[in-house]
Amino acid sequence: MVPSLGNITLWLSLLLAIFQFVISHKKNFYSVLQFNKIAVNGLLFCSLASFFSLMYCHIVSDFSVINVFQNSHTTKPLLYKVSGVWGNHEGSMLLWILVLTIFNYFIFKLYNQKNIIFISKTLEAQAIIIIGFLLFTILTSNPFDRMTTSHTNGLGFNPLLQDPALAIHPPLLYIGYVGFSAAFSFSVAAMSINVEEKIPWHSYMKPFVLAAWIFLSAGIAFGSIWAYYELGWGGWWFWDPVENASFMPWLLGTALIHSLITVEKRKSLQSWVLLLSILSFLLSVIGTFLVRSGILTSVHTFALDPTRGIYILTFVALLGGYSLILFGLKSKNFLNRHCFSFFSREGSILVNNIIMIVVCASVFLGTIYPLLVEIFSNNKISVGEPYFNSITIPIMMPAILVMGMGPMLSWGKADVIGILTKSLPSILLAVVISSIFFWVYRSYNMLGLAGIVLAFWIMSNILLTTFRQLNIKNKEVTQENIPKYSGGMIIAHLGVAFLILGITGSSVWQKEKIIRMKVNDETSIHNYNIAFKEVSEVMGPNYVALQGIFWVYNNKKNMITKLKPENRFYPVTNNSTTEASIHTNLSRDLYVVLGEGDVNRGWIVRIYYNPLVVWIWIGVFAIFLGGLFSMKNNLKKLKRLSI
Amino acid sequence: MKKKILISPIIVFFLILFVFFYLLIIDRNPSELPSVLINKKVPAFETKSLLENKIFVSPNEFRNETTLVNFFATWCKPCRDEHPYLIKLSNEKELKIIGINYKDDSKKAIKWLEKLGNPYSNVLVDSNASLGIDWGVYGLPETFIVNSNGIIKYRLVGPITKKNYHAFVLKVKEVEK
Repeated sequence: MVPSLGNITLWLSLLLAIFQFVISHKKNFYSVLQFNKIAVNGLLFCSLASFFSLMYCHIVSDFSVINVFQNSHTTKPLLYKVSGVWGNHEGSMLLWILVLTIFNYFIFKLYNQKNIIFISKTLEAQAIIIIGFLLFTILTSNPFDRMTTSHTNGLGFNPLLQDPALAIHPPLLYIGYVGFSAAFSFSVAAMSINVEEKIPWHSYMKPFVLAAWIFLSAGIAFGSIWAYYELGWGGWWFWDPVENASFMPWLLGTALIHSLITVEKRKSLQSWVLLLSILSFLLSVIGTFLVRSGILTSVHTFALDPTRGIYILTFVALLGGYSLILFGLKSKNFLNRHCFSFFSREGSILVNNIIMIVVCASVFLGTIYPLLVEIFSNNKISVGEPYFNSITIPIMMPAILVMGMGPMLSWGKADVIGILTKSLPSILLAVVISSIFFWVYRSYNMLGLAGIVLAFWIMSNILLTTFRQLNIKNKEVTQENIPKYSGGMIIAHLGVAFLILGITGSSVWQKEKIIRMKVNDETSIHNYNIAFKEVSEVMGPNYVALQGIFWVYNNKKNMITKLKPENRFYPVTNNSTTEASIHTNLSRDLYVVLGEGDVNRGWIVRIYYNPLVVWIWIGVFAIFLGGLFSMKNNLKKLKRLSI
Repeated sequence: MKKKILISPIIVFFLILFVFFYLLIIDRNPSELPSVLINKKVPAFETKSLLENKIFVSPNEFRNETTLVNFFATWCKPCRDEHPYLIKLSNEKELKIIGINYKDDSKKAIKWLEKLGNPYSNVLVDSNASLGIDWGVYGLPETFIVNSNGIIKYRLVGPITKKNYHAFVLKVKEVEK
């Protein structure tokens, strides 16, 4: 019953989406408004019903549904039965559609007296995207397909994915990807209406881009956290094609947010914004394509199916073809003769944009390079960490340098000498803090030096700008061109500084030790002694685990903590996972993984000393907060627009 | 000048899509991996045979006909899925298949072959994974095609399945020529 309900509502969604597309063309404003109300609300309701039907099937373990049979098992804990809904290809497409319709609803909510044509155009574009994904789901990957033979239990769910961080990672990521669909629709709509109609399209677009970017950041962070403690290799980023697929839209999204600020304040860079919002969404969909067509091999690969690949690619070709041709024809209307100096806020934002795009293009090239080589030479190669690190790090460095300066510059044109005198205190401050840092740690490395100095450079700049800001407020000086700083920017930029600190620390000064240990053996890593005390068996809800207990002492022989890494075996799917055990403080992580072995020969134990890792998570959290803060301000502005 | 730049995104976009389309349409298998052993002679080794009480001496046994070398184990689930296709290859195509039982319990392996059928002309024991290292195996199952001169011509990582069976037979025929 419930699976049929899900299937019916899925088809109904398709009809409503087509209805929304057709109706948005109509010239009669009143009927457009009324019919769209039905379409948008109906669409939201149907996709919710469809999504929750599938969730219900997973929760009650209805194994007549192929999707449940293939991905679930009765012994699975409830949380993973729920997250199992989007842990597979078909279900995740359903979630994707649900998020699309939610954004569709929010776009609809923007309707007011002045913007009817513009919002209708946007809803029309959004309807096309929804139709495309619905057709894809229904035709190639319907999650409600049934089986004739009945089974008493399912095949189980990949135990690596049974993890709280990974349970919420996909929804966050999808909200991010799909959020860019709104930006895409807005920019298509902006290009299709007459330019004479002064619609503040960028102000409508901004909250959506911000939301997408905030969620994408959080989604990527949860994926990294998962990789960090579940994969057991002490790293948190592996330049896997799928990680790149989420990183590329994030880079463009970052560029997009910054150019949107420029458009808002100075009306320049408009065509940039249009292009960036189209590209961010196209890259999100191409990312989906790369993961689900089996064209690249990756740890995340879903079921391999070329027909799905052909479908998504055709859809991307249509969306991209239409929007980019429109861009080629219409975007010249958005070019303006507004000039600005290189040393200005716009100038710094433009530099930031160009660098983000160059990094994005390099990552893209690295991701598809193995495919290009295969076509032209029939050789197989793989592109990995060395390429990505050696390309992205040097390109990012100037961006970070500019990022420290940018907020201090004024719009239009800034006085070069004035900037130098202004930034002198922060240069000094950065140098002083970095020297103290190196004096304490006494470890020197060129890359480490650069990373630490850059991190403190941003921090000192933020400190000083905040200080100045408070000063200005006190004196109540009101003057044109004096830069104002939004709280969101300050928090998010501070987050980036923390992030750089963490990335630098954990990648430059990481220590690794892989040894075979028997019970009562002892080893040391960077001033810590680690003693292997015992091994015991632990029962989990759907696994049995071997747990090692390690006592950690510092160099004064005081015990700091007990670490309990596990080696879990899941009988249903017949595979095992490792759970790292980590002791965290602000300056370092101690990370222990229990590997293969037995009582006689001992176990392989991997121990990592990872400096400053926690700052990565603190940094991302600050970026997330900064985004939320700025979201609040932008929603306020949006409210003012609708009055 | 400026206006011309505006159409560059669409050109780049379609070039990239073209590459993707091409890759999807051609018959390609992402799990085909290169091996430094391709076009090299098979590694020299000596090992026990699982079912007969004989010693197998490597390069000598790879003469006269095209041979498949298949690494398998009873603990490997994809190997079980692959097994019917190996039987098909051995019965219908009359291919000589040498199985290498990798890091496994010999008793279990014998029972396994009794239950599922034995497609192998000879099964070699590799209990300490040394043959796996010689052949550069990194995941089970893996299958190599060795030509009649004892030269390794092809390596397949992962199981032979319904989907790649046909392509695999074509590869064998190519090597046989």
